[in-house]
Amino acid sequence: MAFYLAKRTLSLLLVLFGLAILIFIIARIVPGDPARIALGPLATANQVLEMRHEMGLDKPFIVQLWDYLSGLFRGDLGKSFLTSRPVMQDIVGALPATFELVLFTIILQITISIPLGVIAAIYRDTWVDNISRVISLIGVVTPGFVLAIILQLVASYKFQFFPVTGRLDAGIDYEATYTGLLIIDSLIDGRWDVLGDALRHIILPSIALAAAGIGQVMRITRSSMIEVSGRDFIEASRAYGIPERVVRFRYMLRIACVAPLTILGLEFASLIGNAFIVEFVFSWPGIASYGVRTILEKDLNAVIGVVLVSGVFFVVANLTIDIILGFIDPRNRLREGAEK
Amino acid sequence: MIELSEQASTERFMTSRQMAWFRFRRNPAALIGATIVISVTMLAIFAPILSPSPQSAGSFVDFAHRHHPPSAEFWFGTDNVGRDIFTRVIFGYRISLSLVVGVLGFAVPFGVILGLLAGYFGGRTEFIIMRFTDVMLAIPPLAMALAITAVLSPSLVNAMIAITMLWWTWHTRLIFRIVKAQMSEDYVEAAKVAGASHAHIMFKELLPNCISAISVKISLDAGFVILFGAALSFLGLGVHPPTPDLGTMVSTGSEYLPEFWWEALMPGLAILYAILGFNLLGDGLRDMMDVEV
Amino acid sequence: MEPILDISGLNLSFTTYGKRTQVLHDVSLRVGKGERVALIGQSGSGKTVTMRAIIGTLPIPPAKIEGGVIQFEGRDLLQMAKVERNRLKGTGISIIMQDPLLSFNPVLTIGRQMDDIVRYADVRLGSKRNSGLRKATILDTLQKVRLPDGAQIYDAYPMMLSGGMRQRVLIAMALLNKPRLLIADEPGTALDVTTQKEILKLLNQLVKEENLSLLLITHNLGVVREISDRVYVMENGHIVEEATRKDIFEQPRHAYTKKLMTSVLPLYGKRVRNFENNRQSDPKIEIQGVTKEFRGKVSFFSKKYRVVRAVDNVNLQIENGDIFGIAGESGSGKTTLAKMLLALHSPTDGQIKIDGRPLSNFSNSREFRRLIQIVYQNPGSSLNPKRTVTQALTVPLKFCGYDSTQIKSRISELLDMVDLPKSYASMYPHELSGGQKQRVAIARALSVNPKILVLDEPTSALDVLIQNTVIELLLRLREELNLTYVFISHDLSLMRNFCNRVAIMFRGQICEQGETREIFTDPQHAYTRALLSSIPVISEQEEQQKPKVTDAERQAVLASSTALK
Repeated sequence: MAFYLAKRTLSLLLVLFGLAILIFIIARIVPGDPARIALGPLATANQVLEMRHEMGLDKPFIVQLWDYLSGLFRGDLGKSFLTSRPVMQDIVGALPATFELVLFTIILQITISIPLGVIAAIYRDTWVDNISRVISLIGVVTPGFVLAIILQLVASYKFQFFPVTGRLDAGIDYEATYTGLLIIDSLIDGRWDVLGDALRHIILPSIALAAAGIGQVMRITRSSMIEVSGRDFIEASRAYGIPERVVRFRYMLRIACVAPLTILGLEFASLIGNAFIVEFVFSWPGIASYGVRTILEKDLNAVIGVVLVSGVFFVVANLTIDIILGFIDPRNRLREGAEK
Repeated sequence: MIELSEQASTERFMTSRQMAWFRFRRNPAALIGATIVISVTMLAIFAPILSPSPQSAGSFVDFAHRHHPPSAEFWFGTDNVGRDIFTRVIFGYRISLSLVVGVLGFAVPFGVILGLLAGYFGGRTEFIIMRFTDVMLAIPPLAMALAITAVLSPSLVNAMIAITMLWWTWHTRLIFRIVKAQMSEDYVEAAKVAGASHAHIMFKELLPNCISAISVKISLDAGFVILFGAALSFLGLGVHPPTPDLGTMVSTGSEYLPEFWWEALMPGLAILYAILGFNLLGDGLRDMMDVEV
Repeated sequence: MEPILDISGLNLSFTTYGKRTQVLHDVSLRVGKGERVALIGQSGSGKTVTMRAIIGTLPIPPAKIEGGVIQFEGRDLLQMAKVERNRLKGTGISIIMQDPLLSFNPVLTIGRQMDDIVRYADVRLGSKRNSGLRKATILDTLQKVRLPDGAQIYDAYPMMLSGGMRQRVLIAMALLNKPRLLIADEPGTALDVTTQKEILKLLNQLVKEENLSLLLITHNLGVVREISDRVYVMENGHIVEEATRKDIFEQPRHAYTKKLMTSVLPLYGKRVRNFENNRQSDPKIEIQGVTKEFRGKVSFFSKKYRVVRAVDNVNLQIENGDIFGIAGESGSGKTTLAKMLLALHSPTDGQIKIDGRPLSNFSNSREFRRLIQIVYQNPGSSLNPKRTVTQALTVPLKFCGYDSTQIKSRISELLDMVDLPKSYASMYPHELSGGQKQRVAIARALSVNPKILVLDEPTSALDVLIQNTVIELLLRLREELNLTYVFISHDLSLMRNFCNRVAIMFRGQICEQGETREIFTDPQHAYTRALLSSIPVISEQEEQQKPKVTDAERQAVLASSTALK
C-alpha cells in the first residue's frame, strides 16, 4: 500500500513540477509586455523600462526560470502589482474562503449524487429513475452563472432568507482563528449565531457550484452500478443466497463507486474553475474572485500564483481520491507489489 | 443473457442495425436532442433571414423601445438600448456555433492523434505524451482560459484559442484508453503480421474502433464549449460589443435585475436550450452505440 | 423412489427488443436421490436458462415462465413464496459456477466471501453461529475439496490462486451449507484437461461422501461419460433424448444425439483417421536449440530481474507437407514457440531456419510474409470488428505489393477457396457466424500465398459441430495449395485425427515427439502418459486403450492444482 502511494505521489509531484514550468513558459511567451500591461497604455518608455527591470524581465530566460522555481520552493510567488503585497500573502488570505466553499461543495456532491445514483440504478426505468435523470440533466446543462443568477433571483429576492453576497453578514464580528473555516471554527467556539449565518451564506453558492458535478456523478454512479450488477460474481452471490440488500450495498456499491470517485477527482479541476464564476457572482471573498480581479487587471504574478495554487489543489485532491480508492479496491495496491 | 447460437446474424431475427434503431426510437431524449440541435443550427445559419429585426444585431439604438417586456412584437423583449433580444439571441447562436466548430475542429484531431500515438507506440512516447496531458489537465480550464484571454485582447478568436489549448486533453485521454485496450486484441497483431505500416494500423485499424466514442464525445463537448464560451464572455472576455454574444448579454442583463428580468434570463435560457440539445443528443448516441465515454 | 428434482412441461420465453422468443419448449427432466444426471447441449440449447430457472436467478422481466412445474423434494418451486424459495439457495440447491475467475468478487478475500455465504444462510434458517464456528465450518469444507492449506486460502484474494484451486474453492462454496442437490455448470471446462480430470474425480467422491444428487450441465461428451448415471440431450430448447449413460453412448436414438456422438473425435479405435504425409520430405522448418526467456523487473526500484523461461532448448524439424502438431496445456510454451516462427518474438538462444535460411536474416521482408502466416484462435478478436471482410483481406495484399485490380480479383478467389459466397465481401464480422469468421481468417492468412500456415488453436473457439467443417476445409486447402501446417492445440483428440507428427510440450520443453500413431499407442514420457490418460473419451474400448497411469505417477508429473501461485 505504501509503495503504491509513493508511486502515485511521485507521479503527481512530477505533474506539479511540469505545471509550474508550463505556466511560466506560457506567461512568458504570450504576446504583450507584462510591464507595459501593468502600467497601462499611458506609461512612458522609460517607465516601462524601469518596470521591466523591477519585474526582472530583462534577465536571461534561464535566470528568470531559476528565480521563479527557487522562489516557488521558498513559497515566494513574487509581488502583486495591484496591491504591492507579496502574492503569497494575498492568496493565503483568500484561500480559506475558497477552501471552505469547495469542501462544502464536494461534500454536497458526494452525499447527494452517489445515493441518488444508486437509487436510480436500483429503480431503473421507473419514474424514480426518470426524475433523477431530469435532475441530473438540469444540473449538467445549466451554466454555473445562469444557475447562480436564478438562485439569487429566486432565493433572495423572493424569499429573502438566503443572502446574496459574502460569507458573513456585515454586522457579525468574528475571526476564524483555528482552521480558517468559519463553519468549523464557529463550532469549536460555540458561536451558534456565526455558524447559522455562515451556513446561510454558503448554501447558495455551493448549490450553484455543485450542480454540474452532481448531475454528472449521478449518471456515472447509475451506469456503474448497472454495469457491475451484470457481472458473473454478482449473480453467483445471489445464487448462494446472499440477500439482495447485502449484494447491493456491500458488493456492488464498493466496486461501482470507483468510477464516480475517479470522475470526481477530475471534476475537481473544473470545480475550481467554476468557482471563479460563482465567487464572482456571489461576491465570495475567495481566491477565485481574487483571481478574476487580478486577471482583469493583468496582474501577472498574481495570475500565475492563482493558477499554480489551483493546480496544487487539483493534485492533492486526486491523491486523496487515490488513497480512498486504494482502500476500496485492493487490486491496485496488490498489482503494484505482488507478482501475478 | 441468452447465449446466441451459431446462426449468422443475418439469420437472426434482427440485424444489429435494426437493434440500434430500436434503441434510438425508444429513446425520446435523443430525438428531442437532435431536434433541438437542428433548430439551433438552422436559426444560426439563417439568422439574417429569420430574425424579426436584423438591425438589432448591430449598433442600432431605439431609445423609445427600451426595456420592453416580452410581447407579440418583441418575443424576448428589448434590452437597455431598445434592441430586439430575440434577434440578438439567434445572432448570438452564430457566435456560439462558430466557437464550437473552431474549437472542436482543432482540438479533436489534435487530441485524437496524440492519443493514437501514445497508445500505439507506448513506452517513452506514451510517457511523454500522457504526462504532458496530465499536466494540462491539472490546470483549471476556466482559470487558464481567463488568463490567456486577459493577456491577449478579448475576441472570439482568442477565446477559441484559449479553450482549444486545454480541450484536446480530454480527447487524448479517451482515445488513449481505447487504443490501449485494443492493443491486446489479436487483430492488431494480425495486421502487423500482414506487414501493415504503423500509419495503417493507427488510422485504418484502431481509429475506426474509436469513432463511436469520438462522436458521442463531440456531441457532448459541443454543449460544454458553448457553456465555456458563455462563461468567458460573461466575465467580460468574449467578443467586443456590439456583436451579440449570449454570455455578454446575460452579463449586461444582470445589471437590470430584477425588474427587467428578461434581459438576463432570455439569453441565459437560450444558452441552456442549446446545451441541452447537444447533451441529449450525445446521451442518445451513447445509448445507441453502447459506448463508454 | 421420489426424485429430488422433477421438472415437467417447463415453458419459458424471453423478450428482447420488443420481440418474444420461446426459449424452452415443454422441458421435462428428473434427478433421483443420489443420482448423477447430465444435461447435454451446445451453446444456445437452453441449458443455462434451465439451470437459472431452477436456482431462481432468472431476470424475470425479460424472461417469462409460461407454464410448467419445477418440483424440489416434492414442492413446486415456482409456486413457493419468494422468501421460502430464497431459503433454499445454497442450503437445498446449490450451484457451482462455470468460470472460476469471474465468479469471485475480486475485492474481497476468499474467507470473507465464504463467511458471507454461511452467515446469511444462518439468518435465513434462523440458526446462529458465531464467527469462530463459521470459520471452522469453512476450513472444514475446504478440507473436503482436498485443499490442504485452508487457513492461507482463507486470507487470500481470488487472483492469487491458480485456476484449479479456484475451481475447488467454488465447489467448496457450493457445499458450505450442506445442500442436497448440486448443479454443476460446465465443471472444469475452463481448465487444463489434467486439472479437469482431478476436479471430476473430486466431484464423484463428494457425491458419494456427502450424499448429494448432481445435475451436470455440459457440452462435453467425454465429461458426461466420467460423471453421470443418466443423460438428457437438449437441442434448441427441446429435450430430444433421455437415456442411461450406457445407452446413450452405445445406442443413441435421436438424430441430433447421433450427430453429437460422431462429431467427437476418437482417440483410439477404428474410427481414428490416420494422416500421412506423402510428399517429398525435405525439412521445411528447423528449430535448433531455441530458448525464449522473458525478463520482468521484480519491482519498480530493484535492479533484479525475474526470468520466465517460456521455451527451453527446443529442437524440432518440420517437413514439407507435414501437419505438425504441437500439443501442450496452458503455460507449456506452445504459443510462444508458434509466435517465434512468425518472428513476433526472437529467440534468446538458438535459431530457427526456414528452407535453410535463418529467420533473423529476412524476417522483416515481404518475402518472409509470403512464406508463413498465422490463423488465430478467436476470430472474434482476430478480425477487426469495424472492418469489412474486403477491408480485412486487403491488408496483407496491399502490403505485399498487390495493386487494386489484383486485390479485387484475389479477394473473389479467396472467398471461393474458403466456400464463402461473394456477397459476404462487404459484411462486417458481427454479421457472420463463428465458423464463417474463421473462414475469413483463413482466407486472410492464405491471401499472399504462403507455403506454411501456423494454426493457433483454430477451432477451439467454435462449436464442436462446426469444428469439423473447418478442419475439412483446412485439409482440402492443404492438398490444393501444397501447404505445410504447424498446428498448435491442447485438444489431443483433434491432433490424433489431423496431424501426422506430434510434439508434446511441457513447461517449455519438448518431452516427446514423433509419428502421431506411435506416440498415442505407445507413449514413452511420463507426462505424455499422464496427459493421455486424463482425456475424457466416450467409449469403453477407448478407455481401455489409454495408457495406465497410477495416481502417484500422475501427481509426480503434473502441475498440482492444489498449490498456491
